[in-house]
Amino acid sequence: MPKLTVDGVEVEVPVGSTVLQACEAAGREIPIFCFHPRLNIAGSCRMCLVEMEKSPKPVASCAMPAADGMVIKTDTPLVHKARRGVLEFLLINHPLDCPICDQGGECDLQDITLFYGPDQSRYTENKRPVVDKYLGPLVSTHMTRCIHCTRCIRFLDEVAGVEELGAVQRGEHMEITNWIEASLTSELQGNIIDLCPVGALNSKPYEYKARTWELRKTESIDVSDAVGSNIRVDARGNEVMRIVPRLHEGINEEWLSDKGRFLYDGLKKRRLDRPMVRRDGQLQPADWRIALDAAAARLKGTAPERIGFVIGDLVDAETMVLVRELAARIGTPNVDCRQDGSRLGYGPRASWLFNSTIEGIERADAFLLVGTNPRHEAAVLNARIRKRSRQIPMPVGRIGAAGIDLTYEVQDLGAGVQTLSDLLAGGIGFAKELRAAQNPMVILGSGATARADGLAVLDLAMRVADEFGAISEGWNGFNVLHHAASRVAGLDLGLVPGQGGGLDVAGMLAGGVDVLFLIGADELDLSGLSPDVHVIYQGHHGDRSAPRADVILPGAAWTEKHGTYVNTEGRPQRAKLAVMPPGEAREDWKILRALSDVLGVTVKLDTLGAVRARLAELAPFLATPDVIVPAAWERAAGPGDLGFDRAPFVSPITEYYQTNAIARASGVMAECTKLRLAEHSIKATGTHG
Amino acid sequence: MLKWLSFNALGTWLTTRFRGELVGQDELGNRYYRNKAVKGLNAADWRAERRWVVYPDGVEPEPTLVPPGWSGWLHKRFEHPPTVAPLQVKPWEKPALPNLTGTPYAYVPPGSERGRGQRDRATGDYEAWTP
Ligand code: SF4
Ligand code: FES
Repeated sequence: MPKLTVDGVEVEVPVGSTVLQACEAAGREIPIFCFHPRLNIAGSCRMCLVEMEKSPKPVASCAMPAADGMVIKTDTPLVHKARRGVLEFLLINHPLDCPICDQGGECDLQDITLFYGPDQSRYTENKRPVVDKYLGPLVSTHMTRCIHCTRCIRFLDEVAGVEELGAVQRGEHMEITNWIEASLTSELQGNIIDLCPVGALNSKPYEYKARTWELRKTESIDVSDAVGSNIRVDARGNEVMRIVPRLHEGINEEWLSDKGRFLYDGLKKRRLDRPMVRRDGQLQPADWRIALDAAAARLKGTAPERIGFVIGDLVDAETMVLVRELAARIGTPNVDCRQDGSRLGYGPRASWLFNSTIEGIERADAFLLVGTNPRHEAAVLNARIRKRSRQIPMPVGRIGAAGIDLTYEVQDLGAGVQTLSDLLAGGIGFAKELRAAQNPMVILGSGATARADGLAVLDLAMRVADEFGAISEGWNGFNVLHHAASRVAGLDLGLVPGQGGGLDVAGMLAGGVDVLFLIGADELDLSGLSPDVHVIYQGHHGDRSAPRADVILPGAAWTEKHGTYVNTEGRPQRAKLAVMPPGEAREDWKILRALSDVLGVTVKLDTLGAVRARLAELAPFLATPDVIVPAAWERAAGPGDLGFDRAPFVSPITEYYQTNAIARASGVMAECTKLRLAEHSIKATGTHG
Repeated sequence: MLKWLSFNALGTWLTTRFRGELVGQDELGNRYYRNKAVKGLNAADWRAERRWVVYPDGVEPEPTLVPPGWSGWLHKRFEHPPTVAPLQVKPWEKPALPNLTGTPYAYVPPGSERGRGQRDRATGDYEAWTP
């Protein structure tokens, strides 16, 4: 390990560190623009210059490997002069936009100029004009502000895996461009907005909407997929102005998928803001008393086994505790949290978790993807797999729809169950590669489990994991990738029919119930539902289910309540209330609590604390936020002879930007969808060869 | 006579009565006076020429109702009253409007609910769902 002296302090840093890291280890702050710890080194901005003994010129510390015996000085007149000079050059062509720039207040160039920069400009000539580029509906550009750090290019190339930005010309004439005017196609493109150290790349939906210092920042959790990315919800007044990622090494590092970042404008559209009751065939506004009475009257007048509860994809664990308690008090066994028809939820907990954890991806050395398209189901997690595939040569096999670009190399093994059993029997070449791996990883998506033979596929996949050494001391390579934020909490709380012979979603929809209680469940096909079924809908958006409802109980969206979400790894995390629910909408667990009173089966949970205590009782492994309690490996009992379905596995996500009620209400997401469809049709007509 | 006094201060009445020289009258009945000036005095001198208007009896005094030509003369922008030198009106000039405050034509800032009957978008607005 090299030992260096930084400003008279001796530090020892790991082999392969840079001088910049050594300076940071010594407690020195070095201003940087182009360096980013998660991207390759570019060394293009020269902001990080430091003085090194025996070197005639200052050196760029971010690009200089630390070596034994270096003597670095970061606080000498030479260094100060170098910094001032670099900044003066950068500012030559940087416009004086700060008062109207969206980056103002969180701009690296502003901050660094304040601390290290010259106090005045000696430049009187014209500044360089640059044409703004069109990058699609999410990222807006102000290219005169660009300082050519190339972070955006490097991010798209390295992390997102799409080579869509580049630089043309050199020196002062350098421009960041996408060659052909078209929108970016990555699901992670929003991150270049955060990466850009100046205001050259901004969020288009947020453009000129607020200043950073007006925003109230609330820590929360992303619910657009089951990864549970940590986010910060920035609100002004009672409106969510933007969503940005927070750092969590175990989950999203510092990235966020575009759906999670940009769906928030859906929070302002199609909101259910007052209770409604159907009268004379029409849904009409009512007050809470009337709506709760109407719901309770129907629930009371129906035999318990003719009542069904379905839980949607955005529901928090607290609400599910209340559903569970309420259903138990009413006495109905028909509760299901798997509206996509998934078969998971029976047997050991390890059979529905992402057991190796997301961080564990970086220890894996072979992947088998079964019935999943991680790029759309969990974009941030897909970036981790790509990151791993750049670290070591790594075989990735896929069983399911072929030809979908996952941003890393994939071998298509086959389409359905047959291939999986062939693999188990060793009849496929990939079996050898999988067996050779130290830590192989099997990722089972809902395309493989949300079908009639889901349990048999699950069993097969678990046997594959066992067979190929995915389960060993300190390594559990069997993973289930969910795409619904509420799913794992629901399964952990046992919200599946089964014991007592309850009906699952399909059974309920096929006429098994007379009263259907939907809690935020919108991904259901209600068209076949008999008109006599009374539908109670509790949720926040007038999406697919609300028009069919007979009673609407307006609930809160995830930014409007304190809630616990459990991600696909089984990691409980808390989202906090950022704004108040609109109109008369209430937090969901409180609605169910009030309903239980009207029904005369009071659930005695009166505070959020009490609900969470009950949650910890029901599912002890969800008690501590941000702690994963690993599930012991145990194969689910054989499902008997269910028989396999020969149909290929299909990923449940057909339209990435439209997977939940909030995204479907969002105008930004609708525009993205339109663009994506347009692009597909261009490709389909063959102009791309 | 007394009614006239209720609208005009006694001082104005006396000045008009003893020193005022009627210059003219406009179509609204406002009458314009000046005093007999001592020539060659600084304008700040109280004996220099002063010009004033007396509003007609029984009408609420309203300075913005003074027509532009007369207004210009009152403020000594023009040397001669419009009776002598009529105001040149350019074709692109709009007619002068009196003060509209308190009338339905009064100015309302954009975004005010009184203006278009609806207010502008504001932070925290949302669209409610209707079946
Ligand atoms: S657009 Fe921003 S991130 Fe990209 S090179 Fe310019 S300054 Fe860097
Ligand atoms: S940070 Fe070192 S050259 Fe840019």
